[in-house]
Amino acid sequence: MERNTMSYKTKQFLMFAGPAVVLFCMVIVIPFIYGLYLTFTSWDGVSVDKPFVGIANYVSAFKDAYFWGSMGRTIIYSAFAVIFVNAVAFALAYLVTSGIKGQNFFRAGFFIPNLIGGIVLGYVWKFVFNRAFVAIGEAIVGGTVPSLLSSTGGAMFCLILVSVWQYAGYMMLIYVAGFMGVSDSLKEAAMIDGCTSAQAMKNVTIPLMRTSFVTCIFLSITRCFVVYDVNLSLTNGEPFNSSVLAAMHVYNKAFIYKDYGTGQAEALILFLVCAIIGIAQVYIGKKGEVEA
Amino acid sequence: MKGSIKHVFALIAVLVMAAGMMFVVTGCGNSSDEGNTGSSDGITIFNSKMEIQDQMLQMAERYTEQTGVPVEVYYSSDTVSAHLATKYASGNPYTLSMVDAKDVYSLAEEHAVDLSDQDWVKDTQYAISIDDKVYGFPVCIEARGIIYNKDAIEKITGKTFKPKDYSTYTAFCGLIEELKKGGMESPTGVLKENWSLGAHYLAQVYEEREDPDAFVRGLSDGSVKLIEDQKYNALMDTFDVLKDNSYSKASAISAEREVTEQKLAEGEIAFLFGGNWDWSVISAYDYTENMGLMPIPQDLDDGMNQKLVGGGSKYFFIDSSSSTSDEQRQQAKDFLNWLVYEEDGQSFLVDECALVPAFSNIDKKVGDPLGKSVQKYAVKGALVPNYNYLPDDHYAILGAMFQKYLADKSDREGFAKDVETYWKTKTLTPHEN
Repeated sequence: MERNTMSYKTKQFLMFAGPAVVLFCMVIVIPFIYGLYLTFTSWDGVSVDKPFVGIANYVSAFKDAYFWGSMGRTIIYSAFAVIFVNAVAFALAYLVTSGIKGQNFFRAGFFIPNLIGGIVLGYVWKFVFNRAFVAIGEAIVGGTVPSLLSSTGGAMFCLILVSVWQYAGYMMLIYVAGFMGVSDSLKEAAMIDGCTSAQAMKNVTIPLMRTSFVTCIFLSITRCFVVYDVNLSLTNGEPFNSSVLAAMHVYNKAFIYKDYGTGQAEALILFLVCAIIGIAQVYIGKKGEVEA
Repeated sequence: MKGSIKHVFALIAVLVMAAGMMFVVTGCGNSSDEGNTGSSDGITIFNSKMEIQDQMLQMAERYTEQTGVPVEVYYSSDTVSAHLATKYASGNPYTLSMVDAKDVYSLAEEHAVDLSDQDWVKDTQYAISIDDKVYGFPVCIEARGIIYNKDAIEKITGKTFKPKDYSTYTAFCGLIEELKKGGMESPTGVLKENWSLGAHYLAQVYEEREDPDAFVRGLSDGSVKLIEDQKYNALMDTFDVLKDNSYSKASAISAEREVTEQKLAEGEIAFLFGGNWDWSVISAYDYTENMGLMPIPQDLDDGMNQKLVGGGSKYFFIDSSSSTSDEQRQQAKDFLNWLVYEEDGQSFLVDECALVPAFSNIDKKVGDPLGKSVQKYAVKGALVPNYNYLPDDHYAILGAMFQKYLADKSDREGFAKDVETYWKTKTLTPHEN
């Protein structure tokens, strides 16, 4: 069997990658291109004809103050959520690899929120914020206590808190793998050279775990930018549409306000912003990677 | 040799997988094709009223038994237009779709069959027609106003409560004071949902006048000063009473609909702005039968304080695309006639689903108290029609502004400005009346 002919290579490629490529094209590439085409039409989502309108949708997307408002909120939300998700996840990972009693139990426990769907999780937390916290607050203060979800800042805080709770467990697993990947001998060598354990962590362990950081930050950024489920079930944009994040605005624009073209154009802008930030972060992160 | 056998196996495996995938792909296409050609398929119905889904399913079974026409009922919690959009995009629309009025206006001309020749057209004043063609079959009548709990009121005042006596703002305020003195600290509730505030309460500012169209046009071209408008002020006066005496005054914006309706059902509060659709929530609690709907009290003498606002709600249209066969279309028409003219169909609408019938030939009485009120006003002709031409984002954007007002983050003048600003950005589309 000749192994370096073109036909052999093609066959091999089709055998292993073919099905995946076909599926990827069908569910990602083709819809993406079709979606791109729809941004140049003033389609309402149901009608038969799709009138071509050029870049009018992009113009109205750029003029849409509500969209940029929601984009601004998304950036604030993502910034806080990404920092806290990773800080908490790292701390948890450190905790469950430090050899405490029942660490496997803790690992499973911290991971569980990630197994609950975002919609369910949103409703559960909504109950906690609106009823449980209010009841506790009233018991302590004695008067009526408004729910956190009823103030504009409070609703954003709740969104961030729930996201941290949801994602931290998942990111923890990646950090755990990172911790386990750093050989004990390196840390011991550092200690013998006179490092304190904090210095060993800072100068040896963390630089060697850079891959984990890059992965985790990338995952949390991309997830936070397009978050929809928790947003929908926890706040549904309330109060006064002050917690509508970008993905929710795009959905509403396209399907509820029936401005499909503009919604699709805004979705594309959201995708570009998300992609640029994500790729830049990975590029910068990868550049400084070290190996032992 | 061994290697080549392995190779053959691998190839077979790949072929099987590929074939499987092709099957899946074409399988999707096929199932919709079946819908296209299948004349013995019967009809598919899309139901967008969640509360009657169980009844619809049972009815479908019975209907099939009686007529031999297979009926399948589907429900989706998606936005109606979004759900239908996906069905149309996949070339697999429902034979009969139940949608909201505004969806009929946006879908009918392309997707609906002209029903003008149907018998039931003469028996209803709630059908939707565009350019003199009837497209929408009204499923029921729904109307809004103030829901009252008679038992709760009478327990405190000690005399019979007649809603008519409190149709003016002054009288209504008097009653609220009396209730408060009698021990009901906060006699009202307010739903903070954007549809209740934006699509229902605010919409009455447009609807309760001679020519809503002219008023909306005036808002759009800036000639209407909302803050000087009598109707706006009258309705906001009453809203202030509801807001200031609400049990959830301190946290109006996080009050949950279920809690509010439970309090109303159990008589902890006496008044709530809503509609007969609220019965499906109220009836989940320990309710009293002595409830009803009354018009929003106001001091203007335009007669609007004697009328509820409402009309047809939810409409059936029949798909006109080539995916549906003529036979299916006929079956769908027969089904609509069955609803209106057959004892079983009428009983399904009124007795089982507790809907207020939109057809004058149906003289069945609705069972639930709120429906009874609506039916009473409908028979009297005392319903102010819905204004069905509000832009799709109206309820969300102005609902949010109204929420600000509810949370005391904005005042009457500020809210009026918000409404005017919103309308100025809108270009109105011409429509039929």
